[in-house]
Amino acid sequence: MNVITVSELSRKIRSVIENDFKVISVVGEISNFRHHQSGHFYFTLKDDKSQIGANMWSSNNILLRFKPEDGMKVIVKGRVTVYESRGSYQIDVWEMERAGEGELQFAFEELKRKLFEEGLFDQVHKKELPEFPARVGLITSEAGAAYHDFVKITKKRYPFVKLFLISAMMQGASAPLSIINAIRIGNKSKHKPEMLVIARGGGSAEDLSCFNNEKLAREIFASEIPVVSAIGHEIDFTIVDFVSDLRAPTPSAAAEMIFPDKAELMKKLNSMNYELGNSVFTKFSNMKNQLNSISNNYYFKRPADILNQYRFTLDENEKLLQSIPARKLNGMKTILDSTEKLLNSLAPEQVLKRGFTIITRDNKVMSRKSMVKTDDNIEIKFFDGVSGARITKPHGTLTADENKIIKNEIKQK
Amino acid sequence: MKSSKNNSEGLFESREASFEKSFRRLEEILGKLENEIEDFSLEEIIKHYKEGLQLLKICRDKLNAAELQIEKISTEEKN
Repeated sequence: MNVITVSELSRKIRSVIENDFKVISVVGEISNFRHHQSGHFYFTLKDDKSQIGANMWSSNNILLRFKPEDGMKVIVKGRVTVYESRGSYQIDVWEMERAGEGELQFAFEELKRKLFEEGLFDQVHKKELPEFPARVGLITSEAGAAYHDFVKITKKRYPFVKLFLISAMMQGASAPLSIINAIRIGNKSKHKPEMLVIARGGGSAEDLSCFNNEKLAREIFASEIPVVSAIGHEIDFTIVDFVSDLRAPTPSAAAEMIFPDKAELMKKLNSMNYELGNSVFTKFSNMKNQLNSISNNYYFKRPADILNQYRFTLDENEKLLQSIPARKLNGMKTILDSTEKLLNSLAPEQVLKRGFTIITRDNKVMSRKSMVKTDDNIEIKFFDGVSGARITKPHGTLTADENKIIKNEIKQK
Repeated sequence: MKSSKNNSEGLFESREASFEKSFRRLEEILGKLENEIEDFSLEEIIKHYKEGLQLLKICRDKLNAAELQIEKISTEEKN
C-alpha cells in the first residue's frame, strides 16, 4: 500500500469534492451567523441532524435584500470548497434567498383564492360607509405612528367625529387574535361606532403577515359594522385589504377617504345658503313681475280706458259749447248760406244754363275732339233739351277768342 | 385632543339634531324649492326658507364648535 502525505490526501479529497459539487442548492437554517468587518458572512447551515460551514464573500452578499440572522431558513446556491490547511469543507455561497418566502407567498395565494371563491371579497358584501360619520372605532396600537397620523388628519379635516380607540397589537403572532378581539369589542360597544378602522403604519412583508390571517379575515367579514383597512403598504395587498369594506393605502389616506373635509363642507354650506336665498328671491321677483303684468293687462285696464275716453269727449264737447257765443253762430249761418249757393252753382244744370252743352254719342259723353270723327252722329244736350247733329270737320283747335270765353266762364264760378 | 369625561353624545350629535340630519333636511328643502316652487304657496315658500336658514345655522355652528374627542374603550369590556 502506498503511503501518501496529509497534503496529498487533502489535495485528492479536494479535487474529488470540488469536481462533484460544482454547483449546488442547499436549504437549511442559519446559525452562528457572523458579519465580519471585512464584509464577508460566516455562518453555519444546519437542519435537525447535520450542519455545514458556509461563507459568503462581500462581493456576493452586497446585493442581498435582507439581513441574514440566526434561525432564518434560507436556500443558498454555491459550490463546496475544501480548505486543505484545516481539513475542512464548506459551502462558498453565491446567492441566498429566504426559504419561507415562497411558502408564505404560496399560502397567501391559496388563502386569497379560497376566500375569493367563498365570496368573502364580493362587492355585494361591501357595506356602505356613512357620509358623515359621528362615531368611529379606531383599532390600532396607541404607540404606533398609524394612530398619530390618523388622529392628525382627522383633527384637521373632520374634528366633529368621536373616535373610540380600541387598542390592539398590530404586529407579530398574537396580532390576529388581538385584532379579532378588538373587532368584537367594537361591534358590541354601547358607543355604537358606525365603522371600525384597522390602522397600521407601513412594514415589511413579514411585519404585515398577520393581516393575511384567515380567522381575522372571517371576523372582518362577519362584522356587522363596516371595516376599513388602513394598513401602510410598501408591498402588495393583504387579505385584510380584500375583505374589508374599504381599503386605504395608509392610515392618513383612510382619514381622508372616510371623513369629508371641514373646509369643503363650509363651502358647500355657503353655496347652499346662496341657493336657498336665490330660489326664493327668484320666485318672489317672478311673482312681482306677474302681478305687475296682470295689473297692466288690457282686460284689466280697458274699463278705465273706456271711461276715460268718454270723460275726455265729454270734456271736449263741453269746452266747445262754452266757447261758442250766439253771434258767432249767426256768422256761421251766413257762411253756410253762401257755401250752399256755391254748391248749387256747380250743379250741371246751372252750367248748361250759362251756355255750355254736353255732347254725347250713343249716350257716351264726348269730352275730347279725338273721340269723334267725320260723319259721326252726335247729340247735343242743352239745359232745356237735346238736338241731333253730325260731325263735319273733326280736327282743329280752339281760336284765341274761344279760349278766352271759356276761361271767363270758369272764372265766374 | 381630549378624552371626554362624561357619557353625553359628541357635539356633532348634540340635543336637537345631528349635522347629518340637518344637512340632509337642508338638501331636501333646496331640492323642493328648486323643483316644486311653482306649486308652493307664498306661506309654504317662506316656511321652507325659514327652516332652511335655521338648518344652515345649525350646520355651521356644529362645524365651528367641534373639537376632536377621543375615548379609549377598554379591551376588557367584553360585555
